[in-house]
Amino acid sequence: MTIVACSTPPGTSGIAVVRISGKDAIKNVSNFIKDCPFNEKSPGSKICLLVDKDGLIFDEAVVTSYLGPNSYTGENLVEVSCHGNPNIISKIIDLSVGGGASLAEPGEFTKRAFLNGRLDLSEAESVSAIIHSKSIAGVKAGVKNLKGGLSKKIGLIKSDLVSVVANLEFNLDISEEDLQPNLIKNSKGALSKSVETLKSCVDAFNETRMFQLGASVVILGPPNAGKSTLFNLLVNKNQSIVTEIEGTTRDVVEKNINIDGLPILLKDTAGIRESNNRVEKIGVERSLAEEKNADLVIYLNNAGRSFSKDKYIHVFNKSDINTPDGDYDVIISAKTGDNIQKLKETIYKALINEDIEHDTFLTSKRQCIAVESALKHVKDALSLLLGGDSLELIVEDINRSIDFLDSITSKTTKDDVLDEVFSSFCVGK
Amino acid sequence: MKHIKNKYDLVVVGGGHAGIEASLIAHKRGIKTILVSMDKNSVGRTSCNPAVGGLAKGQMVKEVDVLGGIMGFFADLSTLQSKTLNKSKGRSVWSPRSQIDKNLYEKIAQEYIKEKNLDVFEGEVVSLDVKNNSVSGVFLKDGSKIVCSSVILTCGTFLNGLIHIGSKQINAGRYGEKRAEGITENLNSLGLKSGRLKTGTPPRIKRSSVDWKMGDAGFGDKIPSPLSYRTENFKPKDEPCFSFRTNENTHDIIMNNLSSSAMYSGKNMATGPRYCPSIEDKVYKFNQNPSHVLQLEPEWSKSEQIYVNGFSTSLEEKIQLNSLKTVKGLENVEFIRPGYAIEYDFFYPSQLKNTLESKAVSGLFMAGQINGTSGYEEASSQGIMAGINASCFILKEDPLVLKRNDAYIGVLVDDLILKDTNEPYRMFTSRAEYRLQLRSSNADQRLLEISKKYKLLNEKTLDKLSEKIEKTLDVVNYLNENNINPEAINKRLNKLKEKEIGEPTRMANILKRPGVLIADLGVEVLELKNNLSKHMKNEILFEAETIIKYSGYINRQKEEIDKIKIYENMIIPDNFDYNKIKSLSNESREKFINIKPQTVGQAQRINGIRPSDISILLVYLKRPFHVK
Ligand SMILES: Nc1nc2c(ncn2[C@@H]2O[C@H](COP(=O)(O)OP(=O)(O)OP(=O)(O)O)[C@@H](O)[C@H]2O)c(=O)[nH]1
Ligand SMILES: [Mg+2]
Repeated sequence: MTIVACSTPPGTSGIAVVRISGKDAIKNVSNFIKDCPFNEKSPGSKICLLVDKDGLIFDEAVVTSYLGPNSYTGENLVEVSCHGNPNIISKIIDLSVGGGASLAEPGEFTKRAFLNGRLDLSEAESVSAIIHSKSIAGVKAGVKNLKGGLSKKIGLIKSDLVSVVANLEFNLDISEEDLQPNLIKNSKGALSKSVETLKSCVDAFNETRMFQLGASVVILGPPNAGKSTLFNLLVNKNQSIVTEIEGTTRDVVEKNINIDGLPILLKDTAGIRESNNRVEKIGVERSLAEEKNADLVIYLNNAGRSFSKDKYIHVFNKSDINTPDGDYDVIISAKTGDNIQKLKETIYKALINEDIEHDTFLTSKRQCIAVESALKHVKDALSLLLGGDSLELIVEDINRSIDFLDSITSKTTKDDVLDEVFSSFCVGK
Repeated sequence: MKHIKNKYDLVVVGGGHAGIEASLIAHKRGIKTILVSMDKNSVGRTSCNPAVGGLAKGQMVKEVDVLGGIMGFFADLSTLQSKTLNKSKGRSVWSPRSQIDKNLYEKIAQEYIKEKNLDVFEGEVVSLDVKNNSVSGVFLKDGSKIVCSSVILTCGTFLNGLIHIGSKQINAGRYGEKRAEGITENLNSLGLKSGRLKTGTPPRIKRSSVDWKMGDAGFGDKIPSPLSYRTENFKPKDEPCFSFRTNENTHDIIMNNLSSSAMYSGKNMATGPRYCPSIEDKVYKFNQNPSHVLQLEPEWSKSEQIYVNGFSTSLEEKIQLNSLKTVKGLENVEFIRPGYAIEYDFFYPSQLKNTLESKAVSGLFMAGQINGTSGYEEASSQGIMAGINASCFILKEDPLVLKRNDAYIGVLVDDLILKDTNEPYRMFTSRAEYRLQLRSSNADQRLLEISKKYKLLNEKTLDKLSEKIEKTLDVVNYLNENNINPEAINKRLNKLKEKEIGEPTRMANILKRPGVLIADLGVEVLELKNNLSKHMKNEILFEAETIIKYSGYINRQKEEIDKIKIYENMIIPDNFDYNKIKSLSNESREKFINIKPQTVGQAQRINGIRPSDISILLVYLKRPFHVK
């Protein structure tokens, strides 16, 4: 079956790429390419004119055709790089579907590539992270991983662990004498190092998770502080009701926005106060629940300021009519839009710690769980080692953690361990 | 028409460790069996080192024993020294080993075979009679034929064996024994693929030429461990072995004469095992080691012939002698015979089913070095499996296939059929992912049910082992169900530098601490009034301790085994066409076609096969798509 989809994010970009994959891909595109220069014997790349059913030219595009298995998906594939106008894109897709193709499910190109043996699991997941990431930074992380940054780093940790196992196995499996003198000390050192590296991978994932999944940012504050006004300003739309009556907002209102490529789920909440009104009471409870789960809280007009600083930005609103009653991080007017740029910068900085070097990203939850599990078992191994427990149990935990890392990259086999033993030790009496 | 010698159900070719186990177990199961050997007097010969058991191997010998095999029993009867290796390390890798009297072993084996009335025929098999891809007899060199419905080949290093000593080459199967010709060519013509492997053996020297004062004597354990459950009163002699050390002068002579070594002279030789390197390998590859250990072992009781363990070599005889003379204590050493390397034919074991039966020729089984393994214990393990499965083939019963979590033997067979090794395959405990469960002390627990099902043991041994297993579980239950009071144990814990307990505590929980043993509890957990030997009682306590100490890990492994079970049970049809799966990479497809895995579980374990290959395979087998 031949599939078609636009493979660049919809909207703004100047050039869009529409991909058609499947046995009949080349035949399919000849429906809308004027004097199609490709066939199954001569693939290649050319500037072509795109025509509709009536033969009318509607765009000029760079068309590249590949023959399976030497293509991204492992089957015949055509990429049409046209102008990014949504009308042009949908016209191409319509014409392709009219010629027998069906619309691709999300991720179907990657799935085909994976099934055809063109990608390993970790590469496939990077691509899906690109597909699903809503932001530029997320795309960059995905690309880095695709180039093997992740596999390389995990590979290094694995080879450290394999070498610890090889040393322990030598003592269990070959040497008939007592343990080698530095075995415990060296293993301890190597395992501690692996713990640190694995930890940094998990931290990096948590740091970049927001780029992948979006950060949750909640606006909180007393009634009438101007929360809904600020919300509407940031989402650029009159979505939340604004009145001068205290207790207007009763339920959580949310909307996706984007600050400098960082995807954010912004939430407006009910003003916090003691109330006898049942509906308002529930609203306040929801506000507090949101506060707990938020990545970041924008607290409006709260002079008390008694929170841990990390998660909160203190904002004074209505600077056009009042002066601040205390020490605030940002002073704005939601009505006039004064200082909103400063607020955006503060939000971005609070969410993204620029100091962390993201040389490696785990790009999916699955990968992160695998690394966390690997970390747990290396830690267990380390504590068994410190407690003087049996070597085979320690090996068992390290092997377990290698298994988890294997699920991200390629498989480690028993032969890898023995190879290491034979190459590092003089084996045999 | 060739003269027909006789009719048997099963012909076993070769009287080494594999051949003996195979023929005896089939004979025991009532199969009309004949053992054919080129030399009646060499049946049961241990051609290399005078020891049985050792790391991973001790476990296998005990498994063979529970499956009705005989190696451990012969070894116990001829033990010169018994020692359990790895006692300072983890419990699952404790491995019993016996230095043996090689002459006695051979004699006992031959007498036992006579006693059991197993037919032995002296002759040389040169080819098989194969019709319609199934075996129907063997042809002997004298032109006669033995008719049979199944054959087990256990030819050791005899197939086109070629001995190297320096530049000298001798056609032989073992030193001083004729090699076997014809079988390789015959099997090749039937489409079976063969290769060449190499192994080596050290020189044998005269006891009287050694200055023994210069060596360190090594004795066996005070409480020796028998290798067989049949052995009742195990009181072996305790003859010492002596260790000596090479030095820089030794190494210099070897380095300066590397070109005289058959392996280093640039000749295109078969691959040898990395785990049993020649002395020239050790000196060349690990030149930072200033000294290597040589273990001088008697070949039989008080023997004049001494085995120089650690000095396997194919250097020229003169160089062997000169370099050995530099070792302190061996200044006047004299050879009985030099060390040598031997090359021989083997058949790629991936051509076998998991029953050790050939995929191409029905009724043909193979076991031992012909499958590319090394070691007496590996040979005997395959021998017992081939013998059991050939008898199942003849009796039309379900074959016996051991899983990787059942036994090292299961690991061995599974590894053999799924990977084509290019060096002789030796067992290591690290090859077993379920090593914690594969202890030498629980071979009975793991395999007794199987022995019952296939009727591999006599009543007496069965009863004894059943009782042992029952008692072990009793002790475990007792420890899991009963508390111990602080007053009763804290003094002891203090002494062990363990934390004291504040309230009555389950005994099992205290045992889980690495430093604590049942003996520390000061409680009699095992009734003494039963007819088990002292050794059995020790093993029961050891086992009970281990079950408790390792329970967390073992339970986790059991969960894992349950998870993969579904793949082990998913059969891939014999005629499955991998060419119809377009999306497999060429490499994976080739591997599948060559190895023809019988189950998805096997397919998963083939080196280089990726999870995505398995997902695709599952799709074609119409199983739910599921990526691990
Ligand atoms: N002058 C001035 N008025 C503002 C500003 N922001 C909000 N207001 C006004 O303050 C009143 C309350 O605004 P809302 O945005 O509804 O306040 P809220 O915090 O959402 O209130 P509740 O939903 O009731 O908790 C409205 O009349 C707004 O027009 C500001 O920056 N300056
Ligand atoms: Mg509001």
